[in-house]
Order: sequence, then C-alpha cells, then structure tokens
Amino acid sequence: MVAIEVPEVNYTDYSNRQLAAVPLAFLVLALAIIGGWVVATGAPANLGLEFTGGVELRVADEANGDVEQQIRTAFDREPDSVRTIPGDDVVVVTFQAAEDDPEGLANDLQDQAEAAGLTTTAVDQVSPSFASDTARTALFGVALAFLGMSVLVFALFRTFVPSIAVVASAFSDLVIPIATMNLLGIQMTLGTIAALLMIIGYSVDSDILLNDSVLRRTGEFYESVSRAMRTGVTMTLTSIAAMVVMAVVASVFGVGLLRDIGIILSVGLCADLMNTYLLNVSLLRWYKFEGVAR
Amino acid sequence: MLEPIKENWRILLLVLVVVGSTVTLFGPGFGPEPAPGENASEARQGITNLQYGLDLAGGTRVRAPLSGYTATDVAFGGDTPGTVAEAVAAELDNASVRNVGVVPEEGAVEVTEPSVTESQFRAAMDASGYEYGDIREGVTQETRDETMEVIQGKINEAGLSGGSVQQVQSITGEYFILVEVPGQGRQEVIDLLEERGTVRIDIAYPDGNGTAVQEGALIQDDFEEIGTAAQSDRGTGAYVPVTVRNTAENGQSPAHSFQDAVAQRGFQDAYQTQADRCGYNPETGDIEVVNGDRNPCLLLVVDGEVVNSFGMDPGLADSMAAGSWADTGNFRLTTGEFAEAQTISLNLRAGALPADLDISGEGTSSSISASQGENFRTYSLIIGVLSVFAVSGMVFLRYREPRVALPMIVTALTEVYALLGFAALLGYPLELAVIAGFIAVVGTGVDDLVIIADEVMSEGDVNSRKVFDSRFRRAFWVIGAAAATTIIAMSPLMVLSLGDLSGFAIFTVLGVLVGVLITRPAYGDILRRLLTVR
Repeated sequence: MVAIEVPEVNYTDYSNRQLAAVPLAFLVLALAIIGGWVVATGAPANLGLEFTGGVELRVADEANGDVEQQIRTAFDREPDSVRTIPGDDVVVVTFQAAEDDPEGLANDLQDQAEAAGLTTTAVDQVSPSFASDTARTALFGVALAFLGMSVLVFALFRTFVPSIAVVASAFSDLVIPIATMNLLGIQMTLGTIAALLMIIGYSVDSDILLNDSVLRRTGEFYESVSRAMRTGVTMTLTSIAAMVVMAVVASVFGVGLLRDIGIILSVGLCADLMNTYLLNVSLLRWYKFEGVAR
Repeated sequence: MLEPIKENWRILLLVLVVVGSTVTLFGPGFGPEPAPGENASEARQGITNLQYGLDLAGGTRVRAPLSGYTATDVAFGGDTPGTVAEAVAAELDNASVRNVGVVPEEGAVEVTEPSVTESQFRAAMDASGYEYGDIREGVTQETRDETMEVIQGKINEAGLSGGSVQQVQSITGEYFILVEVPGQGRQEVIDLLEERGTVRIDIAYPDGNGTAVQEGALIQDDFEEIGTAAQSDRGTGAYVPVTVRNTAENGQSPAHSFQDAVAQRGFQDAYQTQADRCGYNPETGDIEVVNGDRNPCLLLVVDGEVVNSFGMDPGLADSMAAGSWADTGNFRLTTGEFAEAQTISLNLRAGALPADLDISGEGTSSSISASQGENFRTYSLIIGVLSVFAVSGMVFLRYREPRVALPMIVTALTEVYALLGFAALLGYPLELAVIAGFIAVVGTGVDDLVIIADEVMSEGDVNSRKVFDSRFRRAFWVIGAAAATTIIAMSPLMVLSLGDLSGFAIFTVLGVLVGVLITRPAYGDILRRLLTVR
C-alpha cells in the first residue's frame, strides 16, 4: 500500500540565504507579474463580471445543432467570452459592459437569445458603477483581514522575527495565487476573493504550528522543525486534496464559484508549503541561532 | 454514577449536538414558513427542513439603490412640510409636489424624480430660500422604509411565497434595496417592481334599461393624497380618506371634472337618505334595483377589474352638485370591512414606489432558472461528497490506522451535520457560497484533528490520562490560535456587503466555532479512550 511519509529535510545542508532564496524568488516573480498586469491592463488581475460590470447569460445546450455557432449569430454584439460547460449542457456567454445601461442590455440579450430559439437558464447583470464599488469593498476586506491576522499573530508570539515570518509568508501565499490566476487566465471574482481570505486563515495554521513547536516547546531546533513538519505537511496535503477535487469536479459541472475557490486555495496551499518550510524556517533559524544570540 | 458523565462530557456534548441537529433537520416545526394556503409539508423542499437560496432553488435577485437626492439639515423656519415641499417643487421644472418629500424628523428634503440632477436640485434648494447642510445621493430613511413596504405588498399580492425585501448598506454608506424572489424570472420580477398598477375610479350609471360606465372619472395621478385605511366613527364600516387634486396645468382640475361628472350622473337625486344604496353587481356589470331605485355607483377599478363599488353620502353628493366640493377635494372611499379598506388603500398606492429603483445605473440583478438551481443542488452534493472522500483518502494513507483515521472522518462529518442543523434552525437558506463554506470547514476541521492526533501520539505511547491531557492541551493552543486567525480573516466578509459571500463567511466562522468548542475536544476524548484503554 502506498503511504504518505513526510520526508525529513536535512536543513543543515543549506544556509539561510539558500533556503530563503527560492520562496523570495517566487515572491518577486509573482509581484513582477502583478505589476506587469497593472501596467498592461490597469488592474492587478483579470477582473470578472462582478468587478467590471456586464451581463452573463447561461444558455441551455439542447443538443440540436451547434449551440456555439447559434450563439455567434444570435446576438447583435460580439460576446466577450463563450464557455461551454461539459457536465451541465450549458454555455456561458459573457458581455462586458462599457455602456451605462446594462439593464437594457440584459433585456435585449435575453430577447435576442429567445428569438434565436435559445433557452436562457440564468441571467446575471451588474452595472459598472456598482462593480467598481464592489471592487473597492473587496480590496478593503482583504486588507482588513490581513491586518487583523497580522495583529493577532504579533499578539500571540510577542516577538518580532517569528511574527514577521508568519506575516511575510502569508503575504506571499496571497500574492502567488493572484499571479498564477493571471497566468492561467482565471478571472478575479467574489469567489476568488473569498478564497484569498480563506488562504489568510488556512495558511497561517502551519506557520503557527511551526512557530509554536520551535519557540514554545522544549527540544532541539531541527527536531522541533521536523515534528511540526510531519503534522503541518499532512494538514496542508489533506486540504490540497480536498481543494483539487473540488476544483476539478466543480469545473466539470460548471459551478464557477466552487471551481474558483478550489483552484485558488490549491495554489495558495502549495505556495504555503514552500513558504512555511523554506522562508519561515530560515527566518526562525536565523532568529534562534543568530538573532537571539546577539 | 456521575463519574462516567463527568469523564466523557465532551463526547456526550457531541452526541447532544448531533441529536439536536437531527431534530432541527427532520423534526416538524423547524421547516420553512409556509406561504398562505400552503401546509407545512408542502413548504419543505425535499425530505429535510433545509431551505435553499436562489442559487440552489432558482429565482431572481435584484439589488439597486433608490434614485433621488436628499438635502440634509434643512432649516424649515417653522414652515409646515407641505409648504416646504411646494416651495421646492415650484423651483423644479421637471418635478411636482408628488416627487418632493419633506421629513421634519430627519430635517431632510428629498426629490425622487429620477430626471432631476443633483445640480438642479441644489439650485432649487438655494432658490427656495431654506438653508441646508449638504446634498447627498439617495433618499431618506422614511422613503426607503415605505418603498420596502410597497414592494413587500406587491410581492404578497402577487402571491410569490418566499419573496423578501431588505435594505443593505454598502461600504461607501450607500443604501441598496435587495429584493429576492424564488421561482421567478428576471423580467417578471423587474416588471412587478416597475409596473404601476393602474387604479382608477369609474362611474356606472343607469342608461335606459341597461348600465353605462364612464371610465376614468378619476385616475391614479388625480389623487393628491391617499390616506391609510381607518375604522368608521360610527357603525361597522371602514374607509380610505383621499384628496383629489384641485390644481391643473391647463383647463379643469381633476377635482372639478370629477365633481361635474358626479353631478351630471345624478348622484344628488339618487342619494337622498342613508337608505339609498349602490346596487352594482360585479358579476353581471349591471346596476340592480335597491329600495326601488337603480342608483349610479362609483367603481374602484384595479388593472381593469372592478374590485369594489360604492354609493355616495347624501351630504357629499349635495356639495358636489353645489360645486363647493372641489375646493377641498376630500372624500372617503367607504367599504364594509376594515380589511377591504386596507386593500383599497394599498391598491391605490401599490405600483407607485415612493422612489424608483435604479437598476440600470447602479444595480445588479441575477436570475437562475429552477432546473438550473436543482442541478446546482445535485452538483454541490457530489462535489461535497467527493471532497470528503479525498480528505478521508489522505487521512487513511497517512495514518494507516483505522482507530485514528475513522473517528477523524466521522468527527469532521459531524461538524458539517451540526452546521446543517444550525442552518435549518436559523432558517438560513443554503447557497453555493454556504456549500463552499462547508467544504472549507471539513478542510480546517481535519487539519485540527491531524494536529490533535499527531500531538497525542508523539513521544511514545499514551499510558496515562495525565500524559494525554497535557499533550491535548498543548495541541489545543495551536488549534485555538489557528481558529482565531480564521475567524479574524473571515469577519470582514460577514459585515461587508459583498453579496452572497457573507454566507460563506458566516458558515466558515460558525464551523470553526462548533469545531473548536464541541467536535474537536470530543475527538480528543474519543482518541484517548481508543489509545489509553488497552
């Protein structure tokens, strides 16, 4: 039987600089990608319907001919995206709204779909000004959550370096999934915002476990790290398994919200594995052997 | 006797929670509120008491602010609200007194006509001479409340069970009206909200042997004011006081035209005493003989259908014939029963929202068909079950010891079961976002159980209760800290108005609390029994 054995890492072979270099390189790369996105598109990510405004129709695929072809001819304007959901016999058609009457647009589009003999099973309409409000609220929410988490972590450990290690790796856990989303073409939606907040909560678990093991328990440094790692890696892998399954199944069925949350959390938790056991460990080791000794 | 209870109270608490959840999930009395004419078992969706939100049941959600502007901190200088409204309306070309509201309690003056711009309103306020603090977008609290009542009335009248309307405030302080109607398409709901049900008063009068009807003697716009239903001072009847407008842009005012029409149809001759009554038969559309006469009648017509017919008080008929009534324009629409008067008052007002919903400009709407909702329900069940399988698989692979892994999975599932129980108890409708919250709870739940299991089993065998307890307490510090960060990270979502994501946040936080306070300690006890009893 296959068993999961958490590998023992021989940290003594590597210097702190070497350990921290990998996650820092990823972080810089991710920030560069996001920065590039801001320069190129004016936004840090591909914004979804909720943040840009527009109309999204779900059109039933009733298996009479080529629906995508029908959709291309049905509407008097070009859809911004047409996505077929295999598991649900549904095609999702998105129109980004640049104009000020998305409500009228939604009516027109629904009428046009009907005229072309297509059945719409769902209509979402978001006005651009409401969307920009939502974007601001979402940004504020993520910032607030991050700040709250940081304050709590500092209150828990009351020492600067270990606390900042947790906060830094949580920051990286947030930034890497956003950059990955941009590269994979995943849009930023309310679902992904929820997932980002969830990452803040989730990813800190293993960091707290590690800090607790190293700082608050007796025992030699490497022994403490490997003890925390055994538990922490198991935890994170279990969560990744749940999220990968959720992402795969949800995208087959076209349940966008669950798919987005699944993908973002999977990427975020992978980033967390790297950040916790490379970045956080190196910072802790520096603190334990050099920082305290000074 | 008490010792086993004391020793296993954590497990007993868990059992209690499971039993409680079973009661709220399946027991009678916790189901959704049945709509009028529906019995409790019909209101249930499926075999449980769970309620499903629009995502999972189909329906429409519309979220929009009310259009208008409000001047705050207005100094009325002792003038009555009516005077102030007239003065401000006089300065606005495209709005009448009907579109200007004055709320003395809030010190506010508002304009609800969508075509009035902020600068026009500002200019009108300046010109009217009343000092004010500032002009803000939106309408007053009073108008928002009234609009909600009218919308609720429309929803109830249309017989849409489960429809709801509420106010939400965005981070920028703007108020939105949120309307949710299960089982209805987008267009139907928007039509319902925007339709101005036509209410008018016709006059039916005898024409030879038949009955003739003069349509539209009064139409909705002719009413200056529509009062609330009141009980008659004497007798059992009830009435709705109304005032007909006595101002006109050109020609005759509505009050004068109505007065002339009433006089012409011979109401004065017909109604001499209280014994003279209206004999209109709504089924045949004919006026029947009452006390030897066929008297003319006023008909209240809503959306083309006669909902009530009235006679007229002799005194009122006289003053109309004399031509003096139009000066005040007051009269009462009388009915036999109070409830009927209430319906009429609502009918006269329904359709006309006190302020318009700005769905195009700043609103959102979304709609999901019932079949799509049902599909989503099935899919999210499949997704949930498969995610649990994935977690279980990982746990078994890691521990290869059913004594540790099995209770772990059962405990995690118990958390979800308890949360479903909570949802049924609160009547919180399940949405896709809530399902995502459940899956997140299984994830964090198992994480914490892994921490407990690893901690307890580390450093050799557990052979005494003391060793177990000290290890368990150490594990709990980490769990508590992790739970606190999750709660803090999720709390902004609970309060910010980010649509249905608050459901995700609420259930994640609830799940973490249930986990930390009830299920995870119980898992510790279960593990202790399994590991220490040898």
